[in-house]
Amino acid sequence: MSSRARIRGFIVESFFVDDFSDTESFLGNSIIDSLGMLELVAFLEKEFGITIADTELIPDNLDSLARVCAFVERKRLIGNAA
Amino acid sequence: MCGIAGFTFSVGLSTEERRALFGDRARRMAASLRHRGPDAQRGLLLDGVALVHARLSILDPVGGSQPMRDRSTGVAIVFNGEIFNYLELREQLGSRYAFRTRSDTEVLLACYLHRGIDCVIDLLGQFAFAIYDPRIRTLWLARDRVGIVPLHFTETAEGFAFASEAKALFAGGWRAPALDARGVKQTLQLWSPVLPRTTFEGISQLPPASVGRWWKGRLETWRYWDLDLGVEPRAELDAARAQEELGALLEDAVRLRLRADVPVAAFLSGGLDSSLLCGIAQSQLGGTLRTFSVAFADPSFDERAFQDEVATRLATRHRSVVVSSREIGELLPAVARHAEQVLLRSAPAPLWLLSRLVRACGTKVVLTGEGSDEIFLGYDLYRETRVRQFWARRPDSRSRPALLRRLYPYLPMREQGHELLQQFFGIGLDDPGHPGFSHLPRWAASSRNLRFLSRGFAERAAKEDPVTSLLATLPARMRGWKPLARAQYLEMQTLLAGYLLSAQGDRMLMGNSVEGRFPLLDHRLIEFAAALPERLKLRGLAEKWLLRRYAARWVPPVILERDKYPYRAPIAAALTGPQAPGWAREVFSRESVRKVGVFDEEKVEKLVAKLSVRSAAASEADGQAFTAVATTQLLADQLLAPGRVPQRDVDMVELETA
Repeated sequence: MSSRARIRGFIVESFFVDDFSDTESFLGNSIIDSLGMLELVAFLEKEFGITIADTELIPDNLDSLARVCAFVERKRLIGNAA
Repeated sequence: MCGIAGFTFSVGLSTEERRALFGDRARRMAASLRHRGPDAQRGLLLDGVALVHARLSILDPVGGSQPMRDRSTGVAIVFNGEIFNYLELREQLGSRYAFRTRSDTEVLLACYLHRGIDCVIDLLGQFAFAIYDPRIRTLWLARDRVGIVPLHFTETAEGFAFASEAKALFAGGWRAPALDARGVKQTLQLWSPVLPRTTFEGISQLPPASVGRWWKGRLETWRYWDLDLGVEPRAELDAARAQEELGALLEDAVRLRLRADVPVAAFLSGGLDSSLLCGIAQSQLGGTLRTFSVAFADPSFDERAFQDEVATRLATRHRSVVVSSREIGELLPAVARHAEQVLLRSAPAPLWLLSRLVRACGTKVVLTGEGSDEIFLGYDLYRETRVRQFWARRPDSRSRPALLRRLYPYLPMREQGHELLQQFFGIGLDDPGHPGFSHLPRWAASSRNLRFLSRGFAERAAKEDPVTSLLATLPARMRGWKPLARAQYLEMQTLLAGYLLSAQGDRMLMGNSVEGRFPLLDHRLIEFAAALPERLKLRGLAEKWLLRRYAARWVPPVILERDKYPYRAPIAAALTGPQAPGWAREVFSRESVRKVGVFDEEKVEKLVAKLSVRSAAASEADGQAFTAVATTQLLADQLLAPGRVPQRDVDMVELETA
């Protein structure tokens, strides 16, 4: 399963949302609330073996499925390079 | 307080016919309200109208019997609540009415006879009443200004029926119980149905501060008072003078609420408001005050240290009850049955237990601190609104939204980057004049509860948008008010009247035959607070500034200095896992969820599974949805089944005809 599908699956299962596009804002459309963001972060860290710093908790990295996927990819690349 | 009910039927029946046709229905209605008034249940069958009453004796236990009827005019009344200024009103009436009792009910009746239904404006109190005036063939209904006492009604082909609680309308056979899809949807997002709608199909509730007139087969309602938060603030008022006026009003509000022929005790939460009331009451009672607290076995919810500190300092006779999450689980069926609405939090359950303790100690009346956060701007919601308004004036600012982080120190939210917070609290920033501006983040968050609806139920309520429905009930003049005034009005219409005073107030108290009294909701105090300059209420981000300053003379410093602590109770841990009560497994089962039909059984299953894993702290959103599912299922299970009023209770109701 692609990482996109795994992340989407987690969001559907954890936040009980049926349908959302890759680019919809999680917070702006109430798909995930601000506390839910912490759940998402915990999931990403565990699932992809990455560590997310407080300074990375910004909408640019986390506020849509497309952004999360891109962010995770970047993190993994950095992780592999290191 | 008490329970009232009644209904209309065709005129011209003999007393025998009335008894035969309507006696049993009247009896069943009175019996179903027995918890509100265990001391006596009586009914009166008049020509065309039945009035019933369940009595909790507090004033004039001998003379205050109801229904009460004036012999010369035939005007009859059933009354639930208290008119705290009844002695003053009685004095004013002087020799114009020959009183037979010492009760406030008779004063109300006399006031009506003297100046008609407009007399409601003179009443200082908490009440719901019905007056039948045979001279004009009118049935009047009225409810207090803020909605402390409930009053439901239904219009059917048979006639008009009213009652303190919906269950009496079911017991009387006026409606077959069914959930109102719109009302349930509204509650899931707004915490309460938008009045006059309720949780049940065909059953309405008279809005607070309203009068209803049933005449010639039609009900007409109007407001006799409204919260005017657009009044020009008294700019001349300095802090010292304001504090003096506040003290005089609040002390008088407490004094009036200590009037009773039985002892009046007080709830003590350990927060500022209840501690302040206890301080004032203890001084007025000369040291005989009893106080009651609820403590939590789970230390993250517990406030025992503060409660004990206040009780010791004030030297009250103090009792407390410790509640575990297991007990909350066990109590939830009774809580849902009495609340008669879908709940998003389990917080009413500890209040139920506390009321039970009060009653077990032989006490019938308690003071409670509810209302202060609404009128003196104590809630975080107001601080949040102020920050968001400040931010909306310069939406590009990076420093302005950073203030949001100061608002919620007790939530793990602090651990997040504030830019995520911004994304959440930035909702509606482009329209700071929107009447719902203050509540948009909250409503966006709770709209998540709607995701759990089953397809069928969602379709039934597809036309309902709760926020639109609520905004449609707001007065047009509110648009011209300041942002915090609009926030306060919304808060008092929805959370206060629709939840705190009902599901978490009257229903939990009266379910245990205990009357709550709310000095901080004295309307003179509400009007006083409305005219205070904002800087005396929310100074910068310092909430309830003036009240806090005044409270310094009554409460220990540790209470003044403590962080504000929202009252909450555990839920998920109580209902999942091996310790869960038997009913929980039953109501969360796929079969049961499908049968009730409100929620999607697969999603409910996933939610329960998610919350059964104790690894992460349960989020507020999941807890809300979970509580909503549990209480909806319980309501369906208990109230939608045919009413079962014990026959011995029905037989005990005394019935008269006149």
